[in-house]
Order: sequence, then C-alpha cells, then structure tokens
Amino acid sequence: MQNADVLIVGGGLVGCATAWHLARGGAQVVLVEAGDIGMGASGQNAGSLHFQLERRFLENGEALAEQAAQTAALNRLAIDDWRRLETELGADLHVVMDGGLMVAETAEQVAILERKVARENAQGINTRLLDGDEARTLAPCLSPGILAAGFLADEGHADARSVTRAFAQAAAASGASLHSRSPVTSASRIERHFEIGFRESTVRAERLVLACGAWTPILCAKLNLHMPLYPVALQMNATERTGPRIGHLIQHVGRRLSMKQTDAGNILIGGGWPARLASDPRGAFDPAGKPVLIPASLAGNLRAAIDTAPFVETLNLIRTWTGVTAISADQLPIVGEVPSMPGCWVAGGGSAFTLGPTFARLMAQAMVGTPTPELDIVSPARFEHLNSFMG
Amino acid sequence: MAERYDLVIVGGGPAGQAAALALEGNGLAIGVIDEQLRPGGQILRQPPREFSVASWMTGKVYAPLLKQLRQFEAATGIDWLGGRSVLGLAPDAGHGFALTVSGRDGVETIRASRVLLATGCQDLAVPLPGWTLPGVYTAGGIQAFVKSQQIVPGNRIVMAGTHPLQLLIAAQIVASGGTVAAVLFAQKRRTMMRQLAGHALKAAREASALLPAGAAMALLQRHRVPVRYGESPVAILGKDRVESLRSTEREIACDAIGLCYGFVPQSALPRMAGADMIAGSRAGGWSTECDAWFRTSVAGLYAAGETTGVAGAAAARTAGTIAGTGIAIDFGLVSEEEATSRVSHARSERARHLEFADLLDTIADPSGHFPRIEAETIVCRCEDVPSATITPLLDGRSANAVKLASRCGMGLCQGRNCEPTLLRLLAGSGRTDEDNGFTARFPARPVMLGDLAAPK
Repeated sequence: MQNADVLIVGGGLVGCATAWHLARGGAQVVLVEAGDIGMGASGQNAGSLHFQLERRFLENGEALAEQAAQTAALNRLAIDDWRRLETELGADLHVVMDGGLMVAETAEQVAILERKVARENAQGINTRLLDGDEARTLAPCLSPGILAAGFLADEGHADARSVTRAFAQAAAASGASLHSRSPVTSASRIERHFEIGFRESTVRAERLVLACGAWTPILCAKLNLHMPLYPVALQMNATERTGPRIGHLIQHVGRRLSMKQTDAGNILIGGGWPARLASDPRGAFDPAGKPVLIPASLAGNLRAAIDTAPFVETLNLIRTWTGVTAISADQLPIVGEVPSMPGCWVAGGGSAFTLGPTFARLMAQAMVGTPTPELDIVSPARFEHLNSFMG
Repeated sequence: MAERYDLVIVGGGPAGQAAALALEGNGLAIGVIDEQLRPGGQILRQPPREFSVASWMTGKVYAPLLKQLRQFEAATGIDWLGGRSVLGLAPDAGHGFALTVSGRDGVETIRASRVLLATGCQDLAVPLPGWTLPGVYTAGGIQAFVKSQQIVPGNRIVMAGTHPLQLLIAAQIVASGGTVAAVLFAQKRRTMMRQLAGHALKAAREASALLPAGAAMALLQRHRVPVRYGESPVAILGKDRVESLRSTEREIACDAIGLCYGFVPQSALPRMAGADMIAGSRAGGWSTECDAWFRTSVAGLYAAGETTGVAGAAAARTAGTIAGTGIAIDFGLVSEEEATSRVSHARSERARHLEFADLLDTIADPSGHFPRIEAETIVCRCEDVPSATITPLLDGRSANAVKLASRCGMGLCQGRNCEPTLLRLLAGSGRTDEDNGFTARFPARPVMLGDLAAPK
C-alpha cells in the first residue's frame, strides 16, 4: 500500500494540470490513466479558446443564457491563464489569441448576437459587435453573406495535441507520479481515506480527484455516488494544409460551427455535431467504444463551414474523427468537492479545454484552503439532492 | 447505377470478378466499385480503352485471369462502377451498409444489403535515407506504369528489396525497352535457394508459378542486367531527384528506383467498418479475419482476396469464387451442401496456391533486411515526420498516441504508408502488449469539402 496526498484519476488536461499545480506546491501526487496521457477528449477536441457565450447556451431560453453568463469570472481568469501558459510550462503549445468572431447570417441571428454582446459586456467581457463589412475587413475569408459578428480580442486557439502532454511533463518534473495504461480496478472509501487499485498496486490518499471525462460518473458509481454527467460523441474534421487564411477562431451564433487554422496549416472544422455513441452488449452507452460517424452531421458541418468561409469548399477533407466527452445535466461544468463525500473532487462536463487550466489551478488552490469563489457556480453542490440517499 | 444493391463488391480484380461471376444470373442486383476505370485489378491493370497495346499481358500465367476478366466484362446484370473511390463504409440505419463513394460526378451514397471487400493489397512502403526524393517508386508503382500506360518511369532503374517479384518487374521494364541498372536482393542467394529446396515438393507442383521467374532471369541475363544477392540499399542520393543508390557494396548511378519489400493488405475499409483484423504477412499490415466462407466479424460484410492476406492473384480468384458462393448461401439462394460441392475445386486449387504463397512469403520475408533508418530519415512522408521525432515517444505508448504526439500518420494517406514502419519501431522498442495500430478514420481517400457538404 502506497500513500499519497492526492490521487487523480484521469490523464487528461484537467488531471495533468491539477497534478502539476499540486506537485509544485509540494504535495505527493499519484495520477492514474486508463489509456495514454491526453488521448481522450483532451487530445481530440477542437482546441478552441472561446470566451463568448456558446450557441448552446443561447438557444435554450433566457434563464440558461443568464446562468451561463455567470461563468464570466471563470472566463476572465482563463484568458489570463492561457496567456501565461506557454511561458509557465516552457512549451510551444501554438497558443494563438488574436481574437474570435462569432458570426450571424440572418436578421434573427443578428438580434441574438446583439443581446449576447450586451449580456457579456455587463459581465465585463468586452465583446464588440461588428457589421458584416467590418468583420470581413478583419477576416477577409468570411462570406459576403455574413451580416454581423461578435468580436472578442482574447479568443483564439491552441494545439490540443500538445497542451495535455506539456502539463503531464511539467507534473512529472515537479515530482508527480503518473501511471498511464493503468485502469482503475477498485475504488473504495475507508473512513477518511480513499483506496484506489490499479495494475498491481493500491494507493491510499486523503483526497481523490475524478477528472476522467465521460468515465467520471462511472468512477463515482464505484464510490456509490451519482454524478449527472452524460457521455456525448462528437465529430471533428481536418482539411489538408493550406496557406494562412484564417487567423481567428470563427464560430457561428445560429449554426454549429467552429473553425480555425492550425500552426501546420490544416483547417479544423467542428462545432458540436453529434456522432453515434457506441453501446455495450446490454444496450447501455459505452464511452470506450469507437463512436460511429453520422454522415448528416458531417454534411451539415461542412455546409456551415462553406457558407461562412467559402474558400474551404475546394479544400480536401483528410480526416473526420470522433471523440467522447461529457455534458452535465444543466450544461454547466461540474468542478469541485462533493459535499456529501469530503475529499472527493470531480471536474468535468464541458468547456474543459478552454477552462481546464483554470479549473485545475483553482481546485489545487481550494485544496490548500485558498478561497475560490469563482468555482461556486460550477460546484457539484447543486446536484447534492441526487446523493441524499447515496454515499 | 442503382441507389440500392443487394450486394456491392469493392474491387474489380480477380477476387471481386470471381465473386460477381459466382453470383451472376441469380437475380441479385450487384454493383462492383473500383478506383480504376476498367476492371482487372493491379494484376491486370488495363490500358485506357483509347490505347492500342500490342501483346498486352501475354504471359502464360495470366491466361486464366485474362479469361475470367473477359467473362466478367461480358457478364450482364452486373453494374460496373469504375472510376470511383469508396471513402467510407458504415452500417446503414437499420439494414445493410452505406458506402460513401466519390467519382467524377462528386460524392454519392450507395446502399447495399451486403458488401464484399476485395480491395487487394499495396506495396509495403520502406523508409531509408533519401526515399522521398522524386524518382523513388514502389515496385508495384513502376509495374502499374508499365502495364497500364506502357511507360517506363526512368532511363536507368535500380530494383532493390527482398521480394522475387522484382525480377518480373525488371524483366517487364527491359521488355518494354527500359534499362535496369541492377536488381538487388538483400538476402543471400544461398538462403533463398535453401528455402526453395526445403519446399522442393511444393515448388515442383507449382512449377508453372516459378516459370515466369525463370523466364525473367533468362531475359535479364540476355540483357546483362546484374542480379545481386546479399546487397541492400543504404541510402538514395541526389539533389533534387534520384541520382544514385548507395548499397552495402557500391554506388550505382540511376534516375529511378523501385523498392520491393513485399505487400500488405488494403485494410482501411474493413477497419473503418469495425471488422476484426489479424496481423498480416511477414511484411506487416493487417488482414481481415474471415470464416471459411469469407464472412468477416461484421454481419453482412465479407472480404476476399488479398484484403484477407497476400497470396497472389490465383489464390485471390479462388477466394472470390468461394466468397461469392458463400454470399449465395446467406441470400438463401443455395444450400450450404450444394455450395460446398460447388466450391470443392476452388478450395483444392486454393490450398495449392496458398502453399506456394507461403513459400514465396518465406523467401521474400523482409524482416531482418529493412534498411537502417537514420535520425533524419522521414518515416511519415505526408507530414514529414523524421524518426528522430518518433524515437523519444517510444515509451510504451500506443501507435495512436505516437500519432497524436508526432503527426506521424495524420496526413493525406491516413497512415497507410507509415503505419507498418511505426508498428515495427514500437515492437522494436520492447512494447509487449499488442498494438492495433491507428484507428481507421473517414475518409479513406481525400475528398473536396464541397463534394461532401449538404446542399445549400
């Protein structure tokens, strides 16, 4: 039996970043990952650094939009975190924060955009509303059909392939012990400790961090806890490389779309289009199975891309990939300590690339007793009623 | 072209043709898709119709394949869908499969109750210093030029590798008026002869298959083409294109090189469809796992020919006959008993071909003969990833993880060229658990966004 101060399950962005912060602070950290580091949603997502309110928060009523706007404080911290990250980690992560445009093509979308910009400005997020010509001056790749765009100078993108690995390397260099290809075989709470088994070892720790994406509710179940996180399968697309054409992050206020150009020159096109989740023999969703591509998602996503930036029409698609992430019952992330099981921390439920470095830093601070009011809005406490008969 | 077929066969080579012919006249709607405009496969890659080529593929060994090709071309009730690439293969909602197919008229979806994959094999890509210089070909690439266009892509060609097919290709080059500077076998002649002698009985029974090699040797001798054994390429030299090949023994001036280390099954489509795969030949790659009727692990999906293991055109043809007959069983067109008796000749013929294929596989075995890769040698040519980038990542992580970290396999070819090399590097790094290679992704071939996008 090995002892650790903190045991982290999940070698994704949040897990590795949390390990780095804690290890730097002198904690003994053990991290276990079922596969290889950064190979889940952390390595397969679009790499967007998006701080404007997402389309999904705008099309489900005022209440949700208002609630989502409350995450502005987290967004402000995340902007600073990303601006510092390459220096702090001493790694080239292709962080580009030259601004992001959320475009509108119809009068109705322009109206949504106007309300969104007002809401963001009230929260201290300095989005500017541009008309179509102003947007095209900034981003000549945009279609003449674009009527307006919300522009936020802090948005951008980073290389999802390398961010998690850089955190993992920094964590290991700070003394954290990282175990890949080590699925958790047992998890139990014994008095004030957690005992986690993997490979041939068992680690005992006072604190446990579950940051394993769509597997987080499965790990919670091992501890007899409910966590309302649901697996979601998404599709992403990459074009062949081309010369520099898109400098910004481009999103759409009325259609599912995110677009950016990587350092290598590929254009990444996504926006939350669904793939079909695999299922196990009993019919339950299986986050470990390879999701099946949905052709209509692909066709719709590419149409949105072409309508927004017509030059992509003649580029070759070289790859569509699928990945599995998790979404929470109320769409906001779930990050923090579970009130009914002190010592058990969870982090998951979306936006965990953009906000991941910040979630990790704040959790590490909260564990040593520093107040982190920014995390209140995403605390698992809001789902505590689900665990009133659990634990 | 129909929107829905009972059976779609992917690949119009010997296996695909044989399967179609085995099912002809049953009233099934059958479509055969192929990337080439005309049927034949790589073995009988036909010149365009507008070409008139005297004495095309006259070798005796091609006779049965040519006969089948003419039968296939004359068959009615089979839709020939040439000039099309299958980009994706997935279960259709509820029933059968949807194939995403790109051709001259853009991208179409073709639906089929059952699908037979007869996509053949490809040359094993073998990296060595200088292998990405213009003028370096796979042996099969050179052969395709010669067969289909009567073009010899170089004035002075060196063939190098381990596979005896390079003798035939060298002879075809010479017969087409080209110059072969040398044929280099990495293995020692003694070893090859010993392996041949060890299989003397088998070889005697398959004498006809060895005859072309003998005739090729004679032709090469007449043209004073040196055939050397125990001599491996070390580096390919040149400024903007190939100027010479440096071997373990000498430097040979040339302007084109054909590398011939063997063949690996085409595996993109069965892997995309989720079929169980097994390790391919000694050369590497992945074969589709099948039962005795060439059913894969995915219901309704079949595979025949070199997609299931590289064994030559004759063996592929017998597999096509068996697979086609097996599909007839599954459509309820024939009893298993009747089917079994129908394919008994094909099965015994196939057993004989497989024995020979095994002998050839033993002789041609490239393991232990791969050229040395230097730190700066490109492993993934789509993404220009040198081995120095990959080596530090060989710490037990998976091929997918190496791909994500290094971009090796992320380019236009979807990793079909670099995957065998990467898996050799992973195995050489002491990784013990099995690696299933790259996750297969859509599309199997690059395709314009505009062709795939939903209508405006």
